[in-house]
Amino acid sequence: MKITPKEKLSNFCFIVPALVLFLVFSLYPILRTFQLSVFQWNGIDKDMIFVGLAQYKHILFNNPAFWKSMWNAGYVTILSLTLQNGLALLLALLVSRNIRGENVYRTIFFLPPVLSGVVVGLIWKFVFDGNFGVLNHFLGNIGLSQFQDFAWLSEIKTALSSVAVVHMWKGFGYGFIILLAGLQTIPIELYEAAEVDGADAWQQFKNITFPLLIPIFTIVSILTILGSMQIFDLIYSMTRGGPAGHTHVPITKIYEYMSNGEFGYSTAMAVIFGGVLLVVSFAQIYASKRFNYNNK
Amino acid sequence: MSKLKMLVLMQVFFAFTFVLFTGCNKESKQSKADVVIWHWMTDRQEAFESLAQQYYKETGVKVSFETYAPTDVYKNKISAAATADLLPDVFNPIADKKETASYINAGFIANLTEEMEKDGWKDSFFTKALTQNTFEAGNEWGVNPGIYAVPLDVNSLMVYYNKDLFSQVGLDPENPPKTWPEFIEAGKVLRAANIQPFTSGFGEGWLIGAFAQSYQWNLFGKDGVLDAIEGKIPYTDARWVKIFELFAEMRDNKLFASGIVTMVNKDAERSFATGKAAMAFNGSWGVNVYHSMAPNLNYGVMPPPALTEEQGAKYPLLMFGGEGSSLFVNDKSPNKQKAIDFLKWMTQIDPQVYLAKETLNIPSNKNAAGDLPPVLKVFSENIVNTFESLPKIESWQVTNFININLQSVIIGERTPAQAAKEVQGEKERQAKADK
Amino acid sequence: MNIYKTKKTIVDTVTHIILIAVSATCLFPVFWMLSSSLKTQDQIFSKMTLLPETWNWSNYVTAFIKADFGQYFLNSVFYTVVGVFFVVFISSLAAYAFARLDFFGKNIFFYMLIATLLIPIPGVFVPLYLLLKSLGLLDSRLGLLLCYISNGLAFAIFLLKGFFDDLPKEIEEAALIDGCSRFGIYWRIALPLAKPALATIVIMNSLTIWNEFLLALVVLQDKAKMPIQRGLMVFQGTFITDYPLLMAGLTIATIPIVIVYLLMQKHIVKGIAAGALKG
Repeated sequence: MKITPKEKLSNFCFIVPALVLFLVFSLYPILRTFQLSVFQWNGIDKDMIFVGLAQYKHILFNNPAFWKSMWNAGYVTILSLTLQNGLALLLALLVSRNIRGENVYRTIFFLPPVLSGVVVGLIWKFVFDGNFGVLNHFLGNIGLSQFQDFAWLSEIKTALSSVAVVHMWKGFGYGFIILLAGLQTIPIELYEAAEVDGADAWQQFKNITFPLLIPIFTIVSILTILGSMQIFDLIYSMTRGGPAGHTHVPITKIYEYMSNGEFGYSTAMAVIFGGVLLVVSFAQIYASKRFNYNNK
Repeated sequence: MSKLKMLVLMQVFFAFTFVLFTGCNKESKQSKADVVIWHWMTDRQEAFESLAQQYYKETGVKVSFETYAPTDVYKNKISAAATADLLPDVFNPIADKKETASYINAGFIANLTEEMEKDGWKDSFFTKALTQNTFEAGNEWGVNPGIYAVPLDVNSLMVYYNKDLFSQVGLDPENPPKTWPEFIEAGKVLRAANIQPFTSGFGEGWLIGAFAQSYQWNLFGKDGVLDAIEGKIPYTDARWVKIFELFAEMRDNKLFASGIVTMVNKDAERSFATGKAAMAFNGSWGVNVYHSMAPNLNYGVMPPPALTEEQGAKYPLLMFGGEGSSLFVNDKSPNKQKAIDFLKWMTQIDPQVYLAKETLNIPSNKNAAGDLPPVLKVFSENIVNTFESLPKIESWQVTNFININLQSVIIGERTPAQAAKEVQGEKERQAKADK
Repeated sequence: MNIYKTKKTIVDTVTHIILIAVSATCLFPVFWMLSSSLKTQDQIFSKMTLLPETWNWSNYVTAFIKADFGQYFLNSVFYTVVGVFFVVFISSLAAYAFARLDFFGKNIFFYMLIATLLIPIPGVFVPLYLLLKSLGLLDSRLGLLLCYISNGLAFAIFLLKGFFDDLPKEIEEAALIDGCSRFGIYWRIALPLAKPALATIVIMNSLTIWNEFLLALVVLQDKAKMPIQRGLMVFQGTFITDYPLLMAGLTIATIPIVIVYLLMQKHIVKGIAAGALKG
């Protein structure tokens, strides 16, 4: 079909609203973030002091707590990538076996992602509470009385992992739904053919399901990385970064600096953090592409 | 052509809908009050509202109190509003002196000195109630000297103890521990009886810091505290290590309630009110909180137990406190005078007595403090023992590091000496960054 | 054959056991919230029973009144409905264009859009605020809505483009020959076919908008415009230790979104399958 310039123009109209909103409310703030990050400014003073890259330098070399928080988020992310996505895959495989009640399970598994982070945080905080918590009560009932008064969210050994558990609990439904959707896109004929060839369940999984799911894994992994690295609501309502900073993550750190009037500094932190996320996402895409390639 | 038309139509529809929204906004603005006050004191909203109503009857001036909570959300809201020049007539930046100075220098906070001098308004307050927001001549932030806030109440942070639990384990409920060793002993007795001895909202950094600061004054005195801020005394000083050791000692003797390092104060308050913990470090507002949680709780209050001379205490132990909740007037507000008049009215004896009764806080107006319940009386008598106001303050980053390292000592991650070193490290990094 | 059947029964049973166990952990906290919201303070802290001894429905009335939920509730419904409507409309227009139409700078714009999905800069908050200020949109419903809408666009366009790409071209071409305009095709043919993807977008965006509070709290000044999460925050500050009341408040704030989810959920898998995975 031939397209006249006039048609091109009218076609362009379709994206005008999206484009305007995108330019004004996404692109401009991102550019502005870069600009703010080279100023020292508390949001109140009339003058912003230009400090160049000094804040970046300070974050990179003189702010161990920020890097600690990055590691904490990394820890949650690694757990999510493995355990949470592993669980999501297992459940997706089980549910896609055409069993009874598929809809019910699917509906239930996606319930935690529907709840807000604050709500989830408050409920689970109550579950983990040392004095009144349901968990300790339960453990006591099955004979593990040593956990009486054990404050899960206040011990170095368990604080971050407890938060991670809740995060995974809240998040696995997303991966599950996407993987389930992915499984349904695999043509049934492939399995039928494999069956005829005498392939067992494991071989079918290894040779059909897994390779075809790789691009979907990539999507799930990237969503998991972005979601886990940017964990905030849960931590904020469960531990506020404690004990002794052991559950601080980059966003709580950025929030902390912003709350203390360090607008410029916190935007510089945000830029660095954004950079890290971008690198990780691309590494993930690259790795899965390579993996995919090698497999073929 | 029709497709273009359709699209244009759609976009006009957009614009129209949006104009409609903005149109709504203008309407609602007309019904606004004369004086708008933003505050964070959720528990006092009802009392505030009834005062506002009374004031409306008396003067015809409409005052509206709006709550934003929790405190850090409130604080963010204030700083965002300041950035956009949208502050209400009355607010509180919830900031340290340095940040408050920024607000003043940017013209957001009115200097109330002149008003305060009129009709002896200033003299009606406890002296301590004003010092926190008074700037002296020649202060390091370049703020014009003067009084910048109206205090609504005063407070101090002390240790509450449950008299029933004390009797139960054979401790004298009328004679609570006065010194640190007695305090530790009492704690051991309580723990032996399977009662959590001590709780507080140590998950909120400032509370753990406030407890530690009492001992800083106890060991260093005013000059020493100042020297530490100025960097003349390093945080690795033996006395600072001693402060960290106090927390280690409490930990070793199992004084802390379960989960204290991530506990928000409300949870600690619940724990004390339900008799789970026998002692609680908390502010005078706790009287109101405990009253609403457990009206029959039988408790007393004592100052944080002082260190002995053998422990190196050379100065009196002081307490965190003084000005409780203050309100600042927006210098740019067209209703500035109305706002000041209302605050003046609100700090007169009658409204103050009403507030004290309804919300169980110590009124900032000393003439209204005569008729307090006994427990509050102890607090009000101790207002004189609160920290002295200092011309300099520690940077929030270092303060933060102290709080975090106190937590770290409690959970046994760092030794007191290591914690002190960590704090000094941050102090040096900040000093370098300031350059 | 019999062995095969037995084996299948065993596998099925094991499958159900696993799935039921996971379902239980998903449901328990929600169940706990509901059950706690009906208890008294005393029942929560001293007796750990699963079900409330007495059903205190009055907690809900108290929570609703104390948190001013009524007014906030309507605001939240307004933001969610209008916000989601425009996200769906704007993103589907753009996605259709990206999938089907030719215009200047098509690829550049699309990749720029997708890039914002990958560049999550949380600090964008401050600049966004400054932007609204300079546009004179602080304390306006419009300002908040624009943020919400633009926030949801990138993912929605991504999802819908994948969906539209897969639609058979023949129907459209037939319609074009019949004299239907491009917009007509989008409106009458493409959009109705994209139902599953649209349902997914509706769920995702309803969730985000309904649960958002930071931006709303800072952008809006006037209490009359605040969403339900603001009520929840104040409520939390006041009643953080009154667990039954707090849980009742949480339940009130949660139920509407769960209902939206339950109504739309049957489309969600299809929507994702056809959209995101192809895109």
